[in-house]
Amino acid sequence: MTTNAKRGSVDDKLLVAILDRLIPAVDDLPSAGQMGLTSEIVLLAAQQVRFNNLFENAIDSFGAANPTFTSSNGEQQDDAIRTFESVSPELFCALLSIAYIVYYKDSRVHVRIGWEGRTPQPDGNDMEPWDESVLETVRKRKPFWRSVD
Amino acid sequence: MTKNNGSPIEKTVEETVDILVIGAGASGGAATAWLSEAGFKVKCLEQGYWQDPSKYASASQDYEFEMMTNWAPDPNMRQRDEDYPVNDSESPVTPVMFNGVGGSTILWTAHTPRFHPSDFRVKSLDGVADDWPITYDELEEFYDLNDAVMGCSGINGDPANPPRSPRQMPPLPLGTDGKKLISGFEKLGWHWWPSDSYINSQRYGEGRDACNFCGHNHMGCYQRAKSSTDLTYWPRALKSGAEIETGARVRRITTDDSGRATGADYVDSKGNERHQGARAVIMAANGIGTPRLLLNSASDTHPDGLSNSTGLVGKNLMFHPFAMISGTFPEKMKTWQGPLGNIAFSQEFYETDKSRGFVRGYTYQFQRSLGPAWIAKGGFRDPVPWGKDHHEVLEKRLGSVMAMAVIGEDLPENHNAVDLDPKLTDSDGIPAPRIRYTLSKNSRDQLDHAIENAKKALEAAGASDIFVDPMMRQSGWHLMGTARMGDDPAESVVDKWGQSHDVDNLFIVDGSVFVTSAAVNPTPTIQALALRTADYIVTNRQDLKG
Repeated sequence: MTTNAKRGSVDDKLLVAILDRLIPAVDDLPSAGQMGLTSEIVLLAAQQVRFNNLFENAIDSFGAANPTFTSSNGEQQDDAIRTFESVSPELFCALLSIAYIVYYKDSRVHVRIGWEGRTPQPDGNDMEPWDESVLETVRKRKPFWRSVD
Repeated sequence: MTKNNGSPIEKTVEETVDILVIGAGASGGAATAWLSEAGFKVKCLEQGYWQDPSKYASASQDYEFEMMTNWAPDPNMRQRDEDYPVNDSESPVTPVMFNGVGGSTILWTAHTPRFHPSDFRVKSLDGVADDWPITYDELEEFYDLNDAVMGCSGINGDPANPPRSPRQMPPLPLGTDGKKLISGFEKLGWHWWPSDSYINSQRYGEGRDACNFCGHNHMGCYQRAKSSTDLTYWPRALKSGAEIETGARVRRITTDDSGRATGADYVDSKGNERHQGARAVIMAANGIGTPRLLLNSASDTHPDGLSNSTGLVGKNLMFHPFAMISGTFPEKMKTWQGPLGNIAFSQEFYETDKSRGFVRGYTYQFQRSLGPAWIAKGGFRDPVPWGKDHHEVLEKRLGSVMAMAVIGEDLPENHNAVDLDPKLTDSDGIPAPRIRYTLSKNSRDQLDHAIENAKKALEAAGASDIFVDPMMRQSGWHLMGTARMGDDPAESVVDKWGQSHDVDNLFIVDGSVFVTSAAVNPTPTIQALALRTADYIVTNRQDLKG
């Protein structure tokens, strides 16, 4: 998704360009910006007012500080992101967190990294049962808690 | 209607009950159940609501997002209507909690060690802080009672702790990852033991399944395998006639002209001002909420706040500041399977050894890690870098990161305190708490010692890329000490039964009453103390029955 339209107050084109630098292409997968994740990012951020404010502020502040970002080369873009990370750590953290969350819930990513990709419920996971033999060594130790008279 | 020292607000008055409990969490649930089963008419006011386990963050496809927003343990991040803000700008540790029926047991890890006998005698043994007015032996029967209600998975024989009654269920399995981490302790000859956990390793309690190892019970347990008081104490309390009102935010404890408690003014879920009369009041609102309410209850007869003639309400706040040391193993071990923090613990360095350069000691709580987004965001360590190295680092860490949390004994200091923020309020205009906290040199020395030893243990187990968070900011789970107990009314807020020295029908049962913090998760001790206080009321305060 590379439209220039704004959804709410979030600039899609800018968000796509930032995502491309945060999570680059790997193997058969394109970079995060080219995977069409921006709609989900905007929708998810809007689930909480506090977080949405942080997220929108992050995009707006970044855009205001870097008006030519989308036309810059990769090295210049990385420098701009590093500067923003340093100057506005809370806003950058919000942006990076939601980028990672949405990227790692994508089924194409799950296939690549071998992640099962389901919510943990209701099935849970299998674990081997408790095996008391693991206590063989530690059981030999004498009590060493401090007694109180 | 009780005179409320000049409050001009029109209130609806509820029928007087024997006991009014403020807060429906770990201690409030335990006290309410005990008292209502003994025939007292008990009502609880809880500012939060009942929770539906099928709607916990752990059941959501967007659980990673939910845990940093609507289900965040930090109320300043969660910002639900039922939460109150906390000014923590003068503290390196952020207090975390949950407001609802079950309280913070909804989001806890349910790691449930007990205090050691020495923890009650730190002044006598080590010359620091104060001794408790009670002993381990006096509390033991209430630990046992609480274990039976909450349901404890574990095993006897731990050489670091006194013998105890049989656990209700066998330990949770260690997993491949747990065994790997333990191998480091075995190589070094250091103590470890399977954790006591209030998580079902098999079916236990009404409607509560065994753990399915989803790995996300700290986000609320969908399976009802993790014990929380909405599933354990509250069904018993309601069955025996107790009443609970949710969405009820208490403004103040009210008092009469003689200074005795008469109930509480509160705002109900629809915004109506109400008064609940009571013959006695029990505070169970946690180590921050309780001092906040006592300070908000200042009146002509209690000008510095209720039960605060000593000025100690809100003072001596203890947190257990956490250090977290993580390592990356070469093996892929599915570290996201199984409860996050309930593998095992080590108390090799628990008791005082002054040659280490500090007094008291610490516990290691072994930790797993979670899925790719959690790993990418940092989990227990720094975030995976963005940019060209991102994929390589993520793949190294996923399924391979394990950590050790350090819980060091935080000693009481008068300047570590909760008071009322001069400006900040909750959505009903009630003054919010402000936290002032600095880490003591003794605590810092403990943590530094623990960090160096954790590195040794991780390396012995085969980990590399070791990362140290010397003090986690979002680690203020254990809220203790702000209305301490003691025999001397000049040096404490409540007596050894949790009864206020100033107000004979006011009791406190949450972590506020702790004299010292020990070096373990405090909830079993909080609940045992709550049961003990309730038992005292049943035995000695029948005058409170209407």
